[in-house]
Amino acid sequence: MKINDLSLYSKYAFRDLIRSYSKILSIIITLLISLFILSTILTIEDSLENELNENSKVLLGGDLEIDYNNREGDRDLIKKIENISTVSQIVEFSTMISTVEKKLNKTSFTRIKAIDQNYPLYGDVIFEPAGSLKKLNEIDNTILVNENIFKNLNLKINDIVKVQNVKFKVIGVVKVLPDIGGAFVFGDFALTGKNTLDKLELNTLGSFLNYEYKIKFDDYKNKDKKINEIKKIFKNNDKVKIRYPENSAGGIKRIIDNFSQFLSLVSISAMLIAGIGIANTLLSFINQKNSSIAVQKAIGINSGNIKTIYYLQLLISLIFISLVAYGLSFLLVPVVDKYISDGLGLNIKASFSLTNLFIVFVVGLLVIIIFSIPTVNSIDQIKASSLFRNVFQSLQFKYTKLSISLSLLLLTILVILFAFRSSIPTYSLIYFASFFVCLVVFFYVSQLIILLLRKNLIKLGISSKIAIKNITQSKSITPITVMSLGLGMTLLLTLAFVGSNFKSEIAKSIPEIAPDYFFLGIQNNQKDLFKKIINDTDKEAVTEIVPMVSAGLVKINGIDPNTYISNTNDSYWVIMNDRRVSWANTIPKDNPILEGSWWDTSQPNKLQISLDSKVAKDFGVDIGDKFTLRIYGREVEGEVVNFRLVNYQDLSINFAMLLNPQFAENIPHEYLSTIKFKNIKRFNEVNFLDKFPSVSIIKISDYLSKVTNVLNKVFIAVSIISAVTVIIGLVVISSAIIVQGKIKIFQNLVFKILGFSKKEIIMSSIIEFIISFLSIIFFSTIFAVLASKFIIENIFQLKWLFELNIFLYVTTGVGIATLALIVITNFRYLSPKVYPLVRNE
Amino acid sequence: MSNVSLNYNIDNNSINILKNISFEVDYKETISIVGESGSGKTSLIMLIGGLEKISAGNIFFKDSEISNMTEDEISEIRRKNIGIVFQSFYLIPNYTALENVSLSLEINKLDNATKKAKEILDRFGLSNRFNNLPSQLSGGEQQRVAIARSVVMKPELILADEPTGNLDSENTENISNLLFNYIKDENASLIMVTHDNNLANLTKRKITIKDGVISENQ
Repeated sequence: MKINDLSLYSKYAFRDLIRSYSKILSIIITLLISLFILSTILTIEDSLENELNENSKVLLGGDLEIDYNNREGDRDLIKKIENISTVSQIVEFSTMISTVEKKLNKTSFTRIKAIDQNYPLYGDVIFEPAGSLKKLNEIDNTILVNENIFKNLNLKINDIVKVQNVKFKVIGVVKVLPDIGGAFVFGDFALTGKNTLDKLELNTLGSFLNYEYKIKFDDYKNKDKKINEIKKIFKNNDKVKIRYPENSAGGIKRIIDNFSQFLSLVSISAMLIAGIGIANTLLSFINQKNSSIAVQKAIGINSGNIKTIYYLQLLISLIFISLVAYGLSFLLVPVVDKYISDGLGLNIKASFSLTNLFIVFVVGLLVIIIFSIPTVNSIDQIKASSLFRNVFQSLQFKYTKLSISLSLLLLTILVILFAFRSSIPTYSLIYFASFFVCLVVFFYVSQLIILLLRKNLIKLGISSKIAIKNITQSKSITPITVMSLGLGMTLLLTLAFVGSNFKSEIAKSIPEIAPDYFFLGIQNNQKDLFKKIINDTDKEAVTEIVPMVSAGLVKINGIDPNTYISNTNDSYWVIMNDRRVSWANTIPKDNPILEGSWWDTSQPNKLQISLDSKVAKDFGVDIGDKFTLRIYGREVEGEVVNFRLVNYQDLSINFAMLLNPQFAENIPHEYLSTIKFKNIKRFNEVNFLDKFPSVSIIKISDYLSKVTNVLNKVFIAVSIISAVTVIIGLVVISSAIIVQGKIKIFQNLVFKILGFSKKEIIMSSIIEFIISFLSIIFFSTIFAVLASKFIIENIFQLKWLFELNIFLYVTTGVGIATLALIVITNFRYLSPKVYPLVRNE
Repeated sequence: MSNVSLNYNIDNNSINILKNISFEVDYKETISIVGESGSGKTSLIMLIGGLEKISAGNIFFKDSEISNMTEDEISEIRRKNIGIVFQSFYLIPNYTALENVSLSLEINKLDNATKKAKEILDRFGLSNRFNNLPSQLSGGEQQRVAIARSVVMKPELILADEPTGNLDSENTENISNLLFNYIKDENASLIMVTHDNNLANLTKRKITIKDGVISENQ
């Protein structure tokens, strides 16, 4: 086609579109909703990426971070760095904060950051009242606590709290910390002065202390030179980790990637369901244009050029819809920003991205072409000779080998585009495969319903007969209803089952499996006293106490794992910092060995390591591989001898690495304990901390309520987003009914002439809905049960249960919404005017 | 047209619509095709316009055989040389009178399409109806627009299927005057299917079709 022709046909397309856009309004709406969701996801993802990239220095807390782990930095080396940059020294540790009043019995496991006067090098700390941050390093024994501690411990400004055995004055509340790239994302936190920390006797914290040095280059232009200088300073010191801004916030990035992947899949589901509606509405639109197309053919426009006009109309609509959808997505960013800034302390701003706009447009284009090929090809069925006979045949989708191949090719491109943009392509591919299997099954379900009802096996009332006739007629909307609502319902039910199972499993684990408390940092000489006090408090308390030492995994087969394992790896936490490791004589009963064998007792002097099987898989470790662990600054090489299946969800004591006791027992160590009390009320946390000021207590119920709270919010957000697929399904059904409009009007007119009541006609619509909806529920439930069972049992490794309440809520909710929509949409056809129809107007 | 036949297969039965039809149309000649309903009149002009495929025989337009051309090739011939007038007008409902007429000119990439369309509408007495949609026009006006659309390209052949079939007597007379005057002025040929003897008598030759064969050609 020449440029001149294209310009001419574009003119016709534009004119037709302006004059008949109301007839394709449902195409515009469904496409707009689905592209809006996709745009929103892309815009938010992009905004978050930008925020993380632009604020990577803020998240890290400097241009560079020197992590000395659990040792204080070498003062001479630090001085050298101070000569070329500004240094802020931070010590982080986790411990208990408790009220002084024993009867209040309030404690909180808190991550405390001891900061110097240079903190923060980048970003801002948000706190109250003004000036309190500065006072931390001017007045000893002062502390700023976060809002949650302030509230839970019923504190007021200038109240006294205890950290270990030392009293601190609460001089303010800290709301947001800038450097949340590390461990400060969730949980309680507090700030104190570095000077105070130096005067405290925190020796008992031992390996729990983490020394970090944040560095800011005064002359950023020469940063590469300065980085090299710092690298030189630490050339021979492989115990020090240097972190750069691009390494910050790996955990947050992974969460964002996973959530974006899920949302992208929901949006493409909505788009594909919308595609079914687009094909149907477009066919109706072309049917209405039947005589105009025949005229165009009669005056010499060939079929190919007429099709071009219709494709151009879709293209023009898509350009407009893409721009509007992308523009509207910017309106949602402030809403999301509020949630994200509350939860993560990140502030996102929408920024225009030509790439994202292009992706939105391309995805829309692919969906439109895939679904409109058989529809637009139906134009070939229109003959100019119909104009002589004044008889126009109703058009059908036209499938040719070429069009099917082209549709499949474009569908493959669409799937690849989504799968390989996602963080885990395999999951996306499995999702797409399941989606198309469901689509095919629902299509055949609709055909089965029609086939069975055509048999007309039972005698029914008149309303039922009309309903069955409506379902079995050639222009029936049953296939569209079953496919679009079936897919939306399956997705919503699956997520509802996964969410409810996950939540109830977490909630259930409190009384059944999990202990009441974790006690961290029990020293060797405190072990017996600890046992005695617990026994005195509650003789029936179940106590588990295990040795523990801090160890860093510094080499795998002689290579630093940080050089080849990305911070987005699921098991990166194992190498990020020192981890606690333990040892055991026998295989822990909830940690079965999957590969390898338990300790070789004939080699007591050789370090043997039992590794979490998931970590082994994520790191590509085999049995017999060599791990170099750094324990108290000394590097020890050991061999991985077995892989264990570790289930962290049961909240009992679990370690990624266990060592052989014959080797490990001689290492200086402390103890970790879990206690399950028969009568938890007998245990007073403040009294306990008086006796064991260095021990940290984590109350599992508090921890779980925080987790459940987060999960609840995620579950609600996910359900709302998934409901979009159902909404799109409803728009598709509504458009299918409107497409049927003329037939319905004629049908209802005849009914009116024959003396049918409106009640009987409405009843027929309800019966029609019930027949289709029951089949949809049946098959959606089967698919949702299979999919959610697979996810719960294989991905989360939890026990799956059928949640009847959730099933009833979802099906009833969707059922009522669909029925209301069907009745409302049909209502306008209930009172047809006789005159225009009799006059064939 | 030489030995043209048209058969339809319905339920494995072949129905002969037209059998061995042969005739020629001279330059500037006007022909009416008459006959009973179902005799094959409309089928015949559909074949002449290249809107149906013949079952046997040959159809020539000037020196070109159109019966073995592809659909796109026939579209090209029709676009430039053949104008068609229908009984039910068939204007494009969401196009104005002016747009309906200029459509033919535009797809033939002629300059000043709007100006030429206005001229022909003006000539047919529709200068005050340029921007009206078909639904805002009377039946007679709609047919005048339809004729304007079919002749605006100055085709050498005009095919008309009952052009006054949906009109009252006053409009019938107006339309027939308009059509025949135009043919005379522009030296075009006309093949017209009609039941109206008065209208048929205005043509130079009358072909009568009976049961798919030419029974009279005078």
